[in-house]
Amino acid sequence: MASNLETVVDRLNNEALKIRRNLWRAYYAAGSGHVGGSSSAADLLAALYFHYLKVRPDEPDWPDRDRFVLSKGHANGALAAVLAQAGFIPESHLDEFYGYQTLMGMHPDIKLAGVEMSTGGLGHGLSIGVGMAFGARLKKSPSRTVVMLGDGELQEGSNWEAAMAASHLGLSDLSAILDYNKIQQSGHVQDVLKLEPLADKWRAFGWAVREINGHDMTEIVAALEALPYADDIPSMLIAHTVKGKGVSFAEDTHLWHQNIIDYEVYQKALAELGEPA
Amino acid sequence: MTIMSESAARDAGEQTRVAFGLALTELAKMDETVVAVSADTQDLMALRGMMENHPERVVDAGIAEQNAMGIASGLATAGLRPFLCGYAPFITARSMEQLRNDVAYAHQRVVIGAAASGISLGVSGGTHHALEDLGLMRALPNMTAIVPADVHQAWNAVMACDDIDGPVYIRLGGRVPEPSVTEREATFQIGRADRLREGNDVTIFACGCLVGAALQAADALTGEGVAVRVFNMHTIKPLDRDAVLAAAAETKGIVTAEEHRMTGGLGGAVAELLALENPAPMRMVGMPDEFAVVGPTPKVREGYGMSTANIVSSCRELLG
Repeated sequence: MASNLETVVDRLNNEALKIRRNLWRAYYAAGSGHVGGSSSAADLLAALYFHYLKVRPDEPDWPDRDRFVLSKGHANGALAAVLAQAGFIPESHLDEFYGYQTLMGMHPDIKLAGVEMSTGGLGHGLSIGVGMAFGARLKKSPSRTVVMLGDGELQEGSNWEAAMAASHLGLSDLSAILDYNKIQQSGHVQDVLKLEPLADKWRAFGWAVREINGHDMTEIVAALEALPYADDIPSMLIAHTVKGKGVSFAEDTHLWHQNIIDYEVYQKALAELGEPA
Repeated sequence: MTIMSESAARDAGEQTRVAFGLALTELAKMDETVVAVSADTQDLMALRGMMENHPERVVDAGIAEQNAMGIASGLATAGLRPFLCGYAPFITARSMEQLRNDVAYAHQRVVIGAAASGISLGVSGGTHHALEDLGLMRALPNMTAIVPADVHQAWNAVMACDDIDGPVYIRLGGRVPEPSVTEREATFQIGRADRLREGNDVTIFACGCLVGAALQAADALTGEGVAVRVFNMHTIKPLDRDAVLAAAAETKGIVTAEEHRMTGGLGGAVAELLALENPAPMRMVGMPDEFAVVGPTPKVREGYGMSTANIVSSCRELLG
């Protein structure tokens, strides 16, 4: 008989597979999309929305909900997928990606149910998260705030302003998750502008840091359940991931940071991903 | 609306930035959702009183305007009413992307108090002058932009933000005295210009520190038998279209006066409206398309023609 954890992990892995299939569906509808950074975040998003975040899809503005900000807003295909799977939006919205006058653009729109902030300009999300977490404290709300960061966007200096402020304010209800897929638009992050030693930088900025394999659901679940990692300071979960994870030809290449998707490519991707349970 | 007390008016000492902080402190007593976000401006913006009363509701982001703007946006999403306190040259230009995306585009109720605007920091030089901030704000959808002419209006502007469902920019002065041109009890309505003088020969639309100069210009011209209509155009966006179009129809021309580049500011706003609706003779008093020189504020203002004399001569030009 499977243990409770195994059941949870199986369920979340299945949701992650659906996210990957759905993000390909959305980007196929759009004709192109940020497959790489959406796919690398899929397992993390599945665990967040189906195991960690206290949100109510039927009451998206519930005041005490946990807040999730996708700072790397270009991974909106994955966010839209998980919002559809969680019931915030109809799945048919995925087929309207990039459509005229829809809320389904390349980047999240605050007007869409379940989206906490319009993002896409990089280096914004963590500051917003600091404000949300500080606001929850003032409101004496149990709401927790999670910000997902991309690795390339950590080159924006505003992140480090926010990192300083979060630790200075002692925002233990603020967590950041880094989707560390090591590749940005122009190539490998370490070649464009290196971030390492990254965990040490976050520690030096006053954060409690953990590192995991961002595709191992057992590790992800344990890391989320362990939040916060320290009293009185914010937590940073560095999740090592693979860009384009799940589809061999899209994996670990900047060419699939964003790419054109025709029917043939879409079908190849779906075949590789396989059917969900 | 709570009007400014006599003691608060005294304490403000002819400084709109101080009046802003005093009003914020008063508002925070009445509304527990009011939060001050400072970018190292605790004294500049007179936040000490609020820090004493409600230390938990003053957050200082330090010298980090981008982060301060993002924090303000995040607070607003949580149902709080953030008042962001910064230096006009930095809180606009430095954090413009956060202001555009996280505040204006996301349509958050963030009030930005921007002190030391224009060339109020004259001797600090071009790095510290804010002569394009209104142009930046005016180009943003959802934004309201206010230029209080004195401490009474700075106070009233803070109180009036309650009615605005979106971001508000309040442009404030520096350490140069800003003598009162309005009464303490005078009404204040965002988007509705104050008609200070009646006349049908020529109209002056002035804002901020140039309102006083406009009134002096009107007085001088009255002595010559010219009837000058004068408005304190305290709201740059939304512009009081009715006041401008009536002036275009009823008087021989319009002069705008502002401590801002003529491009993008009050002059630009009035010109755009007139060009589309009723082209009328116009002159602009303001900063030309240059970075201002270093110097004491009154001298720099004078040097670029932001003066009573230039308003008078601009009116005369329109009258032929």
